[in-house]
Amino acid sequence: MAESSGSVDIAEARAEWVGVEFDWAEFTIDKDAMIQWALACGETDERFIDPLHSDFQAHPSFTTHCMSGRLFPKNFPQIGGGFGIDGGKTVTAHLPIRAGATLSAITTIADIFDKTGRSGTMVFIVQRMEFKDETGALVSTVDWKMIKKA
Amino acid sequence: MILDLHTHSIKSDDGRAKVENYCKWIRKKEIPLDGFVLTEHRQYDSESDYRALEDEYNLLILKASEVETDYGHVLVFGVNEDLLHSFDFANIRLPIQTVLNAAKENGAFAAPCHPGRKRVGLFSHYELSGPISDVHTVEVFNGGSIPGEDELSVKQAAIHGYKGFGGSDSHVVSRIGYCATTFESDSITTVEGLVGELQSGSFGPISLRPEPKNTTTEP
Repeated sequence: MAESSGSVDIAEARAEWVGVEFDWAEFTIDKDAMIQWALACGETDERFIDPLHSDFQAHPSFTTHCMSGRLFPKNFPQIGGGFGIDGGKTVTAHLPIRAGATLSAITTIADIFDKTGRSGTMVFIVQRMEFKDETGALVSTVDWKMIKKA
Repeated sequence: MILDLHTHSIKSDDGRAKVENYCKWIRKKEIPLDGFVLTEHRQYDSESDYRALEDEYNLLILKASEVETDYGHVLVFGVNEDLLHSFDFANIRLPIQTVLNAAKENGAFAAPCHPGRKRVGLFSHYELSGPISDVHTVEVFNGGSIPGEDELSVKQAAIHGYKGFGGSDSHVVSRIGYCATTFESDSITTVEGLVGELQSGSFGPISLRPEPKNTTTEP
């Protein structure tokens, strides 16, 4: 099937790379950083800004600022042109994240797809970070889209 | 009855609207829709079951697809198992003739959407590659159109003798019902019924866009 972006076949890239893990990182959740993040988001709910609150926890979007060490796996093909643009992040909060927790994050390629619009053909590469707590429970998933011109 | 024939939910990669929130919005804002059709991008959502929402909100909720072809985007109503095996819905370079033929052979109804749009609209491709003989119906009112696009759609549809319908192309809750389609029939309850009414041609496009708010003040 003719489905290509430059010299890269999107269907082949999807088959080869989706699901590939390529980065592993740990994050210690700092109380002050939690509060600063929540306030920067305009949050007023005391659960997210008052460390003395009985249910004090990180704002649901807190993990979106936890960057992994790599953008793409080693030997990942050059899909589309240039560095691309940030297509935004989608976060799914599974469980509360508490101050002092140590989260381990694994990053995978979650999807590669293309689409057409007024601006022409664009390629989307979705990087997924899954955060687990010390017990191995999944607490947060962040999908980050990178958009490239095909 | 009035149906919005072109909507996207969070099942689409760029959709931000939950289906239940569409229902709530329609009822809260008293939008005169009897239902809507979810036309998710490059896929057919065979899993979701909205019957409980239909009952709760007294709305018809049907499912279809928006696929991408060499002549722009096309809505496909009446997707079934046979059609799903006819072509790859995720392929953004489908030959439009393949989609039209497959829809016809499998009892579905395919119609280009936002045909007046640059690059992804049917008529921009007509300028370059000539018309497609099997097109008979197009979406002439699209809620996501920028000024000039729907006007071009209406004009070109008239030139080519195409029937027109409307859809909001909503990706967020507040856009649902901006454009829709009014049917002579008031008894559509299934996607097969919708396909039958589309085939009969007994419908027309309507715009339900809210009037722009006047921000000027009297001196």
